[in-house]
Amino acid sequence: MSTDDESFHPLGREWEGELEEMLDDTEYDSDLGMKMAQDAMRVTKGELSEAEFHEMYHDDVMEEFGVDDRPTEAAYEQAQEAQKGTATRMLEAFEGDGEQSRRETMKKMGAGAAAVGLGAWATVDDGPETNLAAADGDDGGSNEGTQLGMVIDLERCDGCLSCVAACQEENQTDQGVNWMYVLDYREPGQDEPGASRNRLVRPCQHCTDAPCEKVCPTTARHTRDKDGLVLTDYDVCIGCRYCQVACPYGVNYFQWDEPDVSTDEIEEMHSDMDGDHMVDDRDRWVDSRAPRGVMSKCTMCPTRQDGHMGDEYRGTTACEEACPPEAINFGDMNDPDSKPQRYLRNVVQTRAERMVDGESPNRENVQESYDFLEGDIELLDMEYLEDGDHDEIEAALFIQGELDADDLSLDDEELREIVIDILGGADALEDLDEEELGTLADILLGDADEGDADADDREAANDAIDAVITNAEDGVQNVVDRYESREITPAEVEESLLILDGEEEPWVSEDGITDESTAQQVLEAYAGGEASTFKLLEEVGTNPNVTYVGNEPGPEAEQVDGPVAYSDIGQTDNRKDVLDESTVGDFGVSL
Amino acid sequence: MSTKSPTEADILRPVNNVSKKFFMLFGASALALGIFLVAWMYQLANGMAVTGLSDWGSGGGVTWGLYIGAFIWWVGIAHGGIILSAAVRLLGMDRYMPVARLAELLTIAGLSAAGFYILVHMGRPDRMVTSVLGHYHITVNNSPLVWDVTVITAYFVLTATYLALTLRYDITRLRDQLPDHFEPVYKVMTLGYTKDEDEVVERMVWWLALAIIIMAPLLLHGGVIPWLFAVLPGMPAWFSAVQGPQFLTIALTSAISGVIIVAYAFRRAYDWDHIMTDDVFRGLLLWLGFFCLLFLWLQLQQNVVGLFAAPVDTFVAQEATLSHWAYLLSMGLVFGTLAYIFAQTIRPSLFTKARAIGAALLVLTATLLEKLLFVVEGFMHPTFEIYANTPGEYFPSVIEWLSLLGTIGMVVLVFLVVSKVVPVVELHAVEHLRGDHGHGHDDADDAATESEVKA
Ligand code: SF4
Ligand code: SF4
Ligand code: SF4
Repeated sequence: MSTDDESFHPLGREWEGELEEMLDDTEYDSDLGMKMAQDAMRVTKGELSEAEFHEMYHDDVMEEFGVDDRPTEAAYEQAQEAQKGTATRMLEAFEGDGEQSRRETMKKMGAGAAAVGLGAWATVDDGPETNLAAADGDDGGSNEGTQLGMVIDLERCDGCLSCVAACQEENQTDQGVNWMYVLDYREPGQDEPGASRNRLVRPCQHCTDAPCEKVCPTTARHTRDKDGLVLTDYDVCIGCRYCQVACPYGVNYFQWDEPDVSTDEIEEMHSDMDGDHMVDDRDRWVDSRAPRGVMSKCTMCPTRQDGHMGDEYRGTTACEEACPPEAINFGDMNDPDSKPQRYLRNVVQTRAERMVDGESPNRENVQESYDFLEGDIELLDMEYLEDGDHDEIEAALFIQGELDADDLSLDDEELREIVIDILGGADALEDLDEEELGTLADILLGDADEGDADADDREAANDAIDAVITNAEDGVQNVVDRYESREITPAEVEESLLILDGEEEPWVSEDGITDESTAQQVLEAYAGGEASTFKLLEEVGTNPNVTYVGNEPGPEAEQVDGPVAYSDIGQTDNRKDVLDESTVGDFGVSL
Repeated sequence: MSTKSPTEADILRPVNNVSKKFFMLFGASALALGIFLVAWMYQLANGMAVTGLSDWGSGGGVTWGLYIGAFIWWVGIAHGGIILSAAVRLLGMDRYMPVARLAELLTIAGLSAAGFYILVHMGRPDRMVTSVLGHYHITVNNSPLVWDVTVITAYFVLTATYLALTLRYDITRLRDQLPDHFEPVYKVMTLGYTKDEDEVVERMVWWLALAIIIMAPLLLHGGVIPWLFAVLPGMPAWFSAVQGPQFLTIALTSAISGVIIVAYAFRRAYDWDHIMTDDVFRGLLLWLGFFCLLFLWLQLQQNVVGLFAAPVDTFVAQEATLSHWAYLLSMGLVFGTLAYIFAQTIRPSLFTKARAIGAALLVLTATLLEKLLFVVEGFMHPTFEIYANTPGEYFPSVIEWLSLLGTIGMVVLVFLVVSKVVPVVELHAVEHLRGDHGHGHDDADDAATESEVKA
């Protein structure tokens, strides 16, 4: 989410301007005033503690006003002390700061008031924190501690469903229990699906203000303190399904019957790691498929986050790992240096970096091509050849006498096969059969008499051998030509990335990309323009921790078939198809 | 119409007589309940997959269905019952005194059925106590489901207290004519009774009634039950401020209908024409008409707001509801009943007891349908309706249908059993009908009632 209005105050720049003017009219230091106001706002939003705020300005205030009338740090700490006992973050999320006093009031108002659950009013209880944060254009999540989440680049997703399969594999979920769900959709009035990229990747959003958690009558659905994951305690859940009802995204899957894979089997599968892929660090059963009668959903892989699979798996999820175009970026949404936040900061660059990874011709390939043209490197020593195959070139050079028999890396049999392949590909020789081609090859390699084949064929064979070399050389030239014509190849993209990264002279030659604005253009042309970001159903107030890059589905968007069907990867799309088998008296009709 | 004067013997008749018909009805009800219990065992053994439910979203179904719809329906009947009885006491609507206790019993029975439905609906009913009570201090702050359980329990206790208090009075006075084999029950119920408490009890009952009337719209069926749904912004079919009043009118129509049916059954079985007079039924029918009107009025509100220029998601949900056969049928039934009730007030000859029963049955069918559809529609048209599998499909499985049969059997059983132990008509009512009541009521009112009885 971006904001054009960089004002620190929710009422915006205008208000800020007025404030400044007001302060200018007084005899006091308006800069100090503004700075204090700014930080005071951070205190309201919880980014700064009151004690810190006090500390920061005490001296300034004394100097400016001669007296500091604000409540003292000691008084503040006393107040803090009184508020202890906010057991879990869940409670904090619901009750905000004034918890103690609210509890008191509630006690006084008696059971009746408690039954109405005054604590449930989000608008009352989230207090100025959420509201200010929202008005500010902040992401609104809790900004303290770790909050795991994802940035998913929908424009990179190719709908292969690898993540769906990986999640199923990781968690041993039943058919149709698609914790991860990927769907293509169509907007009304758009005839051709896929005309623009309309795709959604839908794990649980691990909402900061998760309604599923709020409505749960047992606290089975809870937020884990240490990393903000929204999990279900399978040992506590009573299977009322209210969380499923309250979640606006439809990410929950109830375990309607005995799961296909037993806990013993799951334990067995993970016998080589710490833990059993079910119980997390706190000894609560929150991971893998749910047992019968309780609720499940995407967990964001707590077993990995707790290091049970080894430290290298921390900060990863199974779906992320499985995603070929790396569309899923998992990490701490509160850490500006985390994978998702870095991705978000420069979508185009990161996207380009990943797209170009392992692609050719890259900078080194272009450099090599230049080197060849300048005679600094032999054809056979080149790593990258656009047109031509190492073995064929070796064979051709050998036949042309440019290569000693001692320097051959191929044995006789291989050599002969390769030569036959070359000859077989030549148009002029297409009428010859395998045996005739063999004879020609033998002649070329000096193992047969020239008279064994007719002269035209021999000439054509020599031409074919020459063509191998000329084609390869032309290919090298072509790499340089393309580079110099500034066609966008991986080399140009790499250069652009390096330039934007501040590198001094990353280009292979001056004919490449050498200035920032071209570099930016290259990246945008290659990886797509600056993409918009959104969160799903943000207006519902769940404060989701998944941020999407790409098109946001409209209210009337409707799912259409994607490039890969769930059945293609051995999964089931509609769970009801599976469940209907157990229904007693499936009338085949619907209300 | 009977001209005989009601006596203690009249109201004791159910306690002291058993007929073959009684046993037959008892057997049928027990069988109905029994069948469902077996079905429930099957569900417990095989998981909730035996129902027609599924996950909403990619799961192509609805996650709450008939169990929850019937739960609200029973709670509605129960809550309406207690409101009715409280109103009778509070507003001195003495005419309805003979059916007040039946309404209270309907509340107890209805709440039991509703409570049973909660268990039946759960994936892990065995954890109800540990998981819910164990975290009650936290969850009561924010889970509407916990508010529901709290309030239902509170009302159960309240109603039971209310019943127990008024029963002490009756049992003490009628003890000699009550069967001896229930002696221990009567002993417990009248523990420490003294005549002095009558006045205190009467005042207590009045305050309890006041509490019920005040809390009904705030907490009961106008409050926490609809909030279960109305507070969820992701489900536009539910997210509405009119849900509370709507639930309340549905509760009241259902409860009045329930009372009409139960009262009629008792009247027929025990020749209580002179106690539950036609006049009582006419009056109940009129109230039924009044609440049917409110019911339709609130539906109109929701339709107009949801269809005129509503946000896309609300519009889609409302349009789907309005064009659903079950909704149209339900509204049609209520409208038809309303038309009949108004017609019979203008032309009293249109009134017959059979028609009154018919009206009550139609309304109960309509409210059950409405509740069922209400629950299901929420999942069919959520805000996030992007999934191809949404709207999903749902039709209650055999086991779910059996639950209706089972709970109806259960409620009938409650009446059958209770009517064998204690009088289901208050002694006060009889005394009142005879005109020998000891407490000061408006004489004009009494005279009117009496003349009506004689008419
Ligand atoms: S998406 Fe949000 S509301 Fe839905 S289950 Fe996940 S955390 Fe809960
Ligand atoms: S199904 Fe389980 S996790 Fe969900 S609300 Fe009910 S008790 Fe909580
Ligand atoms: S984060 Fe883990 S649980 Fe969630 S969809 Fe990915 S693999 Fe599945």
